[in-house]
Amino acid sequence: MSERLWSKAIFVGYEWDLWSQREHMALLKIEGVFAPDGTEFCLGKRCAYVYKVKDNKVTPGGKPNKTRVIWGKITCAHGTIVMVHVKFQRNLPAKVIGLRIRVMMYPSGI
Amino acid sequence: MAGEKAEKPDTKEKKPEAKKADAGGKAKKGNLKAKTPKKGKPHCSRNPVLKEKVLATVTKPVGGDKNGGTQVVKLHKMPRYYPTEDVPQKLLSHGKKKKKKKKKKKNPLSQHVRKLRASITPGTILIILTGHHRGTRVVFLKQLSNGLLLKFVIATSTKIDISSVKIPKHLIDAYFKKKKLQQHKVDQKAVDSQILPKIKAAPQLQGYLHSVFSLTNEFTLTN
Repeated sequence: MSERLWSKAIFVGYEWDLWSQREHMALLKIEGVFAPDGTEFCLGKRCAYVYKVKDNKVTPGGKPNKTRVIWGKITCAHGTIVMVHVKFQRNLPAKVIGLRIRVMMYPSGI
Repeated sequence: MAGEKAEKPDTKEKKPEAKKADAGGKAKKGNLKAKTPKKGKPHCSRNPVLKEKVLATVTKPVGGDKNGGTQVVKLHKMPRYYPTEDVPQKLLSHGKKKKKKKKKKKNPLSQHVRKLRASITPGTILIILTGHHRGTRVVFLKQLSNGLLLKFVIATSTKIDISSVKIPKHLIDAYFKKKKLQQHKVDQKAVDSQILPKIKAAPQLQGYLHSVFSLTNEFTLTN
């Protein structure tokens, strides 16, 4: 039985203004969210881009392992398309476009 | 002279007593309250029965030939400083301590009232979302004063009635920070012994609590 406590999302790209992209904000498409009220539920939730590298790194509350995270937070909905804006603590690398981002269920308001 | 300030006096009072009243009102506590009633004049209370008048002025003798015999000195002078707003509530960090005991309303972080969302009441079954015990379902017993953790929890609609459960009073935040293993075990047993019968009484609740929460393809975040 899988223990997934996060929602699947895809990093679609960066925020754009008319002519150029702004890498400080990311656009995410969350699986299972098909309507604007779904994005409303997601606002404020934490997101994580999880990846692995060659070297071990200290993990809080666990043994050093190769997993690393870039944390972010869903800030607002993106227009009428059902996507969300996410601000990550470090900008996401462009090669992650199209890859998996985790949307956590916390901070929870239910 | 000792009593006089070097700066130009902006009041017209000539006497040294007047100048002691100060630079910025620091010496007198009462003057700092924005809401100090102005006691310059005898207080006319609306209640005619109240005959007591606040003594607002004092007559003092004055030296010098041509100065007139006495002067009338106010006992409570008008404050030289009024804050532009009502006294704001300060977020005092726990490190700072103010030595002057001003009568402002202090509201340091430790005294903030922690609100709890309505869906969480004692006896609610919660799902822990993060940490070592993520996904586990637990029974909510009580809210501790520092309000931690409750953002990282989902309240289900299942509740059990634990109004008759007595939770030991020494279970506060500081208790959980220490590692008194023996004491913890004793308390754990005390609480468990009260709650387990209630769990077993409710149908299927024990199995439910045993199960782990997770999202699946069918059960997504917005369902």
